[in-house]
Amino acid sequence: MIHHIVRKEFADMIRDGRFRWSAILVGSLLLVSLAHGWVQARKASQEHAAAQATAREHWETQGEKNPHSAAHYGVYAFKPRLALSFVDEGVDPFTGTSVWLEAHRQNDFLLRPAQDATAAQRIGALTAAQVLQHLVPMLIILLTFGAFASERERGTLRQLLATGVGWRELALGKALGASGALALLLVPAAVAGAAALVVANPGPTASPLARGAVLAGAYLAYFVVFLALSLAVSARARSSRTALVFLLAVWVVNGLVAPRVAVDLSKRVYATPSAFEFARTVEREMADGVEDIAPPDRDESTKRLLAEYGVERVEDLPINAVGVYLQESEEFSNRIFDRNYGALWDAFRRQGILQEVLAAAAPSIAVRTLSMGLAGTDVEQHRHFAEAAETYRRDLMRQMNGDMTENSLTGDFSYAAGAELWESVPPLEYEAPPLGWVLGNRILSLAVLGAWLAGAVLLASAQVRRAEVA
Amino acid sequence: MTESQESHTGAAPLLEARGLTKDYGGTRALDSLDLAIAPGEVYCLLGPNGAGKTTTINLFLGFVAPSAGQALVAGLNVSTHDRESKRRLAYIPEQVMLYRNLSGIENLEYFAALGGQGSLRRERLVEILVEAGLDGETAGRRVSTYSKGMRQKVGIAIAIAKKADALLLDEPTSGLDPTASNEFSALVERLRNRGVAVLMATHDLFRAKDTGTRVGIMHYGRLVTELSTAEIGHADLERVYLEHVSDNGGPR
Repeated sequence: MIHHIVRKEFADMIRDGRFRWSAILVGSLLLVSLAHGWVQARKASQEHAAAQATAREHWETQGEKNPHSAAHYGVYAFKPRLALSFVDEGVDPFTGTSVWLEAHRQNDFLLRPAQDATAAQRIGALTAAQVLQHLVPMLIILLTFGAFASERERGTLRQLLATGVGWRELALGKALGASGALALLLVPAAVAGAAALVVANPGPTASPLARGAVLAGAYLAYFVVFLALSLAVSARARSSRTALVFLLAVWVVNGLVAPRVAVDLSKRVYATPSAFEFARTVEREMADGVEDIAPPDRDESTKRLLAEYGVERVEDLPINAVGVYLQESEEFSNRIFDRNYGALWDAFRRQGILQEVLAAAAPSIAVRTLSMGLAGTDVEQHRHFAEAAETYRRDLMRQMNGDMTENSLTGDFSYAAGAELWESVPPLEYEAPPLGWVLGNRILSLAVLGAWLAGAVLLASAQVRRAEVA
Repeated sequence: MTESQESHTGAAPLLEARGLTKDYGGTRALDSLDLAIAPGEVYCLLGPNGAGKTTTINLFLGFVAPSAGQALVAGLNVSTHDRESKRRLAYIPEQVMLYRNLSGIENLEYFAALGGQGSLRRERLVEILVEAGLDGETAGRRVSTYSKGMRQKVGIAIAIAKKADALLLDEPTSGLDPTASNEFSALVERLRNRGVAVLMATHDLFRAKDTGTRVGIMHYGRLVTELSTAEIGHADLERVYLEHVSDNGGPR
């Protein structure tokens, strides 16, 4: 019997001009945003690859110079775009995608599109994730708000129930019929997305298709939440207008109000310093040190070396004491960076957890977090790359300072290394975290989305059971 | 009384109310209704608005639960055998409402399938619609272009397709022109001749006299009198009706 209901609902919807036009609009926006995202991601990947190659070439061909000068010359590291980033660009426009790695400093990321964008560009940059998170739920509401309420108003509900069909069968048939109509626009988009994944540069991850499958599952669960909520409201609302108004209010809270409130609340609870304050604190601590992190004392360092090598004069040391001191300075600054960046990342992590908890009030927060995580554009994966880049920077500085220490003497300012040293530094080979790592980080969002799914289905089931004929 | 009626009377009732009572809050909408409609009988419930006619139909449909008593369809208690009892029933409301984006055939196919007749082929569906008075060309059009009379005919077709034992009609000819009303009555007559038990709520005394085999007059939730249409004329029915529905008793 259910297949008859499904077939009728599907036919009724696709013949409805309102559905056709809204589906064409949303479907077009989805395909265009996917295509635009893919082109942008591909372009960014190509630009990054070209810039990375140029930066590497500059490093290797910088000519002969003192290794510490080379350390100040530095290199650029570019955060690779993962294959799914064309679906959801996440925090990348705000965090930046490249960082200059140089001596003594852990620099901020550069290339932040959001920094350069006009207000209009920010609003106009519709991503596939935004279409999926906001417009598809709107379409689901428009498709299903009248599922029961309109039938009740028109009088068809009495006739339907008089045939002997049960409420549950009716609800299930309507849900599947609406799903079929939605599939007309979502399946082509999913196929296009999968094709884009296959032909795209997979990026530094071994599991783009697995990530894509989980992402599709998360969005599917999100859509079922809206479908179930819409049917529940329609089953109980006095009129289709009441159902529509209520569901639109839910949509506004879910998509516009709750995410903003969650971000603001998390920032209030786990405050982070402004970029200016942060830089000033780091600068002050770098100058003066803090509690148990004291700046290196050059005289003490020299004395220790003299004792270690059993000589009395710096000139008699078989190594360059300045190189040792510079590395000690690096390690001091690294401890200052670890202390400050550690606290900052920790605050971001706590903010993220609180936001994931607040997804209990709005499923869009859970699906947004999952979407960014699976696309590789969330804060955690930005941190993962930032830490890999910082580890690389530290190794590079250690190698430069070590070369200077080993191959020159104190006071010898003429020492210059060449291409052999620069080429011996391996390029940054970044390996993105595996799917398990991502899901481990997002377990809370998975749980909350799962709870929403179960809750919405149970609510729909209960409301449909209690629905009235007239 | 026709031969067909005689052949069906005396059989076990297909629609039966036993002390059927319904209260809405403190208001009694239906008060201890006892009623039995045999196969081939057309029982017309007459009464002013609020008399309890639609409540009676809603109770037989299981749309509301009785406060006391039982509604039975083919011997099945509606309260405990909701689906089975509805399988034996067909229902035509005052305004048959259909799906505007579907054709008459598609609407019939859908309602028939939900009523347990999911294997009817298109040719058979068209035959049923033609039998109900709709021509084949109209049957294939979307019902957004249908008049009320055409929609009522689809309603009849749904009842025919369902092969129901009992038919509940709630003001089915209200708003129809005389020709459409006569066509509708003829269709009901045909169903009655097939042994279908019909309960029709109506305000139309003349239609009740012509179509019904028995008439029950309701007032303030009570069945105040019952008449055989074969034994009274139109004028008598009107007189009896007015006598019983004059406002000499309030709702309890």
